[in-house]
Amino acid sequence: MALYVIIYIEPSSYLQRPIKIGYPLSDKHIKEDFLGFGLGLRTDHFEHILQHQPDIDWFEILSENYLVAGGKPRYYLEAIAEQYPLVMHGVSMSIGSTDPLDMDYLKALKKLSNDIQPKWISDHICWTSIHGINSHDLLPLPYTEETVKHVAERVRIVQDILGRRILLENVSSYLSYQDSTMDEWDFLSQVAEAADCLILLDINNIYVSARNHHFDPLDYLKKIDPRRVQQFHLAGHSDFGDYVIDTHDHDVSPPVWALYKAALERFGAVSTMIERDANIPEFPALYNELLEAKNIAKLTLPDHPALARSNFGARKLNKASQQTSVVTQHAMQQKLRG
Amino acid sequence: MSRLVEIQQQFMQYLLSDEGNDDHEQIKSVMQANVSNQAGISSDIRLAIYANAYRIRLKETIETDHEMLGLYLGDDLFDKMASDYTRTYPSSEKSLRQFCDALPEFLQQDEFFKQHPIIADLALFERRLLNVFDAADSHRASVSELQALAPEHWPSCCLRFHPSVQIFTCNSNAVEAWQALKIDKAPPAPNYLSPRAWLLWRGESRLTEFTSLSEEQYALLFGFIQGHNFASQCEEMLNWHDEQSAPLMVLQTLNLWFQQGLIRAVVSNSTDFTAPTLGSL
Repeated sequence: MALYVIIYIEPSSYLQRPIKIGYPLSDKHIKEDFLGFGLGLRTDHFEHILQHQPDIDWFEILSENYLVAGGKPRYYLEAIAEQYPLVMHGVSMSIGSTDPLDMDYLKALKKLSNDIQPKWISDHICWTSIHGINSHDLLPLPYTEETVKHVAERVRIVQDILGRRILLENVSSYLSYQDSTMDEWDFLSQVAEAADCLILLDINNIYVSARNHHFDPLDYLKKIDPRRVQQFHLAGHSDFGDYVIDTHDHDVSPPVWALYKAALERFGAVSTMIERDANIPEFPALYNELLEAKNIAKLTLPDHPALARSNFGARKLNKASQQTSVVTQHAMQQKLRG
Repeated sequence: MSRLVEIQQQFMQYLLSDEGNDDHEQIKSVMQANVSNQAGISSDIRLAIYANAYRIRLKETIETDHEMLGLYLGDDLFDKMASDYTRTYPSSEKSLRQFCDALPEFLQQDEFFKQHPIIADLALFERRLLNVFDAADSHRASVSELQALAPEHWPSCCLRFHPSVQIFTCNSNAVEAWQALKIDKAPPAPNYLSPRAWLLWRGESRLTEFTSLSEEQYALLFGFIQGHNFASQCEEMLNWHDEQSAPLMVLQTLNLWFQQGLIRAVVSNSTDFTAPTLGSL
């Protein structure tokens, strides 16, 4: 979905500078501005957010939870949308499926986005359903040329329908296919290039998949084009020793914080949020966990002008800066080697 | 058929099949042939992670949507219901919100569960509660809209109800059991002594509410929902009241419905009627 500007130049200036017709804006303007530090909006926290109006920079909503006619979910969503920037994150687009795209779902998504005006819309690079049966899981795709072409074509259609670029998120996976002919990072990069879409890089998912498939997570980061990375996800997982499962029911783990620091070094200031879907703590606990993310970002990118625009935790961080937390200290001491 | 289609079909077939299927081993080995051998854990375990996640996620959805039904059944029967339902009605919806929509139907038809009809009634009642919870919002009419109507239009006026208004009927004491479980009490023994009716709705405060309906209240509400007008509903009430008290009963009940926020609009002469007030004339 390249954006083109046709520059009209009057004859008098014709010889003074070259005419550029169909000049793609994409190189510099492909991404939305840095939004700061956000959290996943969860039902348990609706009341707290409206009552206390915490200085979170933005919230991410799970789109499917609000594809309902009305009642409390929509009431709270609209009240929170009046006060905070929102982004929409979906789990059912099934962009990699070989079923036809679900136009009813896309229309519902578009209607919701018209209602709440999210900063952006994301889903996962995976498939969830076939023959109309939904697994409600983010199932991995074989990394082949065929899949790149198939997914990119569907992303372009979705982007045309929604009238904007979407973000695709890398998923955690537990198996690899015999058919795959490339690495996951090459697959993601090729789809993003071919579809001209953006990337939501889930740092925890990279860690989980790296453990399950025995690759170096830094290889992943190195191969992803920074121009396309618009958002980071952070989350907790369950470590079973031989394998790791992406459960979103724990705090962000130390190795994921360390990988987040490496991601900041490669990609700069990227809008970052923490996803928590089970075993959800009280709001202040998640708030404090998000402070760690900002702390690590400030220490990693000390002079980055975008970070100064984030209002999140300003007062608390100034106080905290005198004594850096153990989590932040640990992350800052890690030197991941590629 | 492309390899992508083939892999997705074989993966889904694997997720949907379980030990109960005669050809489960074959389905599993077909899918296993697609999976690379990697260090660490076997492809068997790698596939099982997906199979477990599929079942756990759907089971958790049933637990969340049908909390009291879960308590009523206890762990073993709940597990049986969850796995049998998941096998019989795989999800065809985008959102898990709709996954259990067919659960009452399943419980009414399943050879084992249909022996205890109260179980399907409990499931249906909980579905109704969910429908009330996220039904569309709308304007609520006040009694003044009826009062502003010229007396000659009263007999022909009809009511339009708030989208959250639902009627639940059953022959068992399912709602009484639900109420007991909700406050951590043992549910009463099931009985099927008489038909019962309940009105469910979402009030101004967005709380889900419900109340029992007597036979006459049920007939009154049901008739108005079906579009019958004031005159015919007064006539209907003659089954329970004399000519003087029937209109009075209808008016009193309507007054209550307005207070509860049940009524969206008063409709006169087949058109939506927004009553003008004296001040606006």
